[in-house]
Amino acid sequence: MPFACLRPLAALSLASLLALPAWAADPILIGVSLTQSPPGSVVQGTQVKDGMEILKDLVNAKGGVLGRPIKLVYEDSQGIPEKGRAAVEKLITSDKVVALAGGHQSSVCLAEIEVAHRYKVPYVNTNCWSDDVRKRGYPEVFNTSPYNTLVSSSMATTLATMGVKRVVAFAENTDYGIGQAKLTGEMLKQKAPQIDYKYETLDRSSKDFTAAILPLRANPPDVIVLSMLPPAAYLVMNQVYEQGLAPSPKTILYDGSGLADYPDFWQNVKEAGKYMLSFALYHPQMKQTPLATAIATEYKKRTGNEVNRLVLQAADSLELVIQGVQAAKSTEPDKLVKAMQTMQFESLRGISNFSTTPGYGAQQWLDIPFVNYELTAEKQPIAQTVMIQAPGQKFDPSKIVRPAK
Amino acid sequence: MLALDLLANGLIYGCFYALMAVGLAMIFGVLKVVNFAHGEFFMIGAYTYVLVSLKLGVPPWLALPAAAMAGALLGWLVERLLMRPLYAGYASWGFMKDEYAVVVTFGLSLLLINLVDKIVGPYSFRGPPLIDVGRFAFGPVMLTGQKAIAAVVAVALMIALALFIKRSVWGLQIQAVAQNRLGASLAGIDATRTTSLIFVVSGMLAALSGALLAPLVNPSPDIGAFPAVKSYVIVVLGGMGSIWGAMIAALILGVSEAFFSVYVSYDYRDAFGLIILVAVLLLRPQGLLGEKGREV
Repeated sequence: MPFACLRPLAALSLASLLALPAWAADPILIGVSLTQSPPGSVVQGTQVKDGMEILKDLVNAKGGVLGRPIKLVYEDSQGIPEKGRAAVEKLITSDKVVALAGGHQSSVCLAEIEVAHRYKVPYVNTNCWSDDVRKRGYPEVFNTSPYNTLVSSSMATTLATMGVKRVVAFAENTDYGIGQAKLTGEMLKQKAPQIDYKYETLDRSSKDFTAAILPLRANPPDVIVLSMLPPAAYLVMNQVYEQGLAPSPKTILYDGSGLADYPDFWQNVKEAGKYMLSFALYHPQMKQTPLATAIATEYKKRTGNEVNRLVLQAADSLELVIQGVQAAKSTEPDKLVKAMQTMQFESLRGISNFSTTPGYGAQQWLDIPFVNYELTAEKQPIAQTVMIQAPGQKFDPSKIVRPAK
Repeated sequence: MLALDLLANGLIYGCFYALMAVGLAMIFGVLKVVNFAHGEFFMIGAYTYVLVSLKLGVPPWLALPAAAMAGALLGWLVERLLMRPLYAGYASWGFMKDEYAVVVTFGLSLLLINLVDKIVGPYSFRGPPLIDVGRFAFGPVMLTGQKAIAAVVAVALMIALALFIKRSVWGLQIQAVAQNRLGASLAGIDATRTTSLIFVVSGMLAALSGALLAPLVNPSPDIGAFPAVKSYVIVVLGGMGSIWGAMIAALILGVSEAFFSVYVSYDYRDAFGLIILVAVLLLRPQGLLGEKGREV
């Protein structure tokens, strides 16, 4: 038998082919538009990418979805709405992605959802907080991201519970910052009309905010609210500290974006971060699904940092597409949209049905869990912060610690 | 009280602005081109200071000269590799030098931003302070040790630069080349070497301002946009190419920005500088100390 010696080789080849059914199939392409280079927030873009990559690897290691591997196709929006719009157009028409996810800056999301809506391709909003993203009511847009109404309402309740008299907010000049500051004012009018509230818009590209801070020295407010993102938020904190305004026995800083989550937080603020009260969407005490724990472990392994809310949000937005494909048993965009509208979404942070209420609630996961905690020591890990409001509990102002002088 | 606070803060930032802008003014004075990568000289200085002190454990006072050297080296390389075609005997370049300079320096700016973003990462770093003094009251004005010492060093550097330009042989050569490149060459001055020196000094000053401000502005890869925009306004206000004009304009901008943002509108604080820019170009195009000129 001249070919007898080839039999083992043929058997091995067949075995290899049989072992590859998942990867012989075409991958499911999911488009991700995020900021990978300035001027947008590359810090956020990096975390979104990390969260999605980890979940994709975990899913593919278990055989993918419908027997097909997930493949993420990235485009760099640079945090610029026009570039985001072009990126999504390219992902849909050229790369033929079945769904989009990853948006993390409101102004960019607002531009991108127009394209997704035109092509009727599902778009999962990862981290665009502006209510306007929901208010357009596009059936293709699903929001696993936190939203300004949730944050502002919670913050207004907190301020009312604290019994403060005067509050000043510093808001960055973006859809997110201005939107949150305005909404907080409106909520305060309903919940605590006696509070004297005003907000100042700050240019997020600026480096010196002293002129906005100096007028407060003569009559310090009880609370300074920050509706800003890094790195501008860090500079405001440092300059507020430098002017002796906060933290002080009279004035407390209240952050509305979970600043302490960022890996570079303590390196950038040092003593100015002590005694800061923070509205946050992640805390190790929150309920964790096994998948969330697996992602946290892998994130720590890959980056050396503790997991944070943005990494989990990113994974959540990809998880929604994956569950949508499983529910629809198809990658056709229209079938995906229908499936995502009707299915129950088991997220990394709880179970959700998307709201059908028009306005800020349109296709929004409404009951996103949150906490309020206070940083009481420099370089304090989030796990060791003082919990002022545990998930699902009431805010307890008696737990707030203030500096002695 | 508030006015005094604003005046002090405005003057301090004016000193920082002057240090950032004077290198840009020098390059324009000699080559008559705008260096769009000037902000990235600042960024390289800030990053060198932060990384050398934080990652290598070098004391901040030694990291400062390291930043200056990095800026000087970058300035020398940019002149040698990118800018020399403008004047080194390639006749055809002379006809399109403005376009060439814009494209090449703008491209360099994007390249440096993205290189730092990919190599160092997108996160911002707060540099260590030069002295370990936290906030303190100086009369009615609240300062930090770093802000005060950075302002003092900035003023000292400006005085040193003024003496260098006025008194040293190299400074006199720079003045001669700025006034008339061909005339200076005929008088035996090596105009090419002098231009190289200008880029070295310009890079060094921008990098030093970046290093001094690193503990105050927490550098990230795109930090260069802020000093670049301020510097363009200052150079136009002071008179294109005028070093003294740039110093005076920087102080005027620092103080007027501070008062404008409190007594008019904080929202338009940065736009205020651009309003000045447009007003000067319309009403006094030569700026405060610039000279009227025409090209044929």
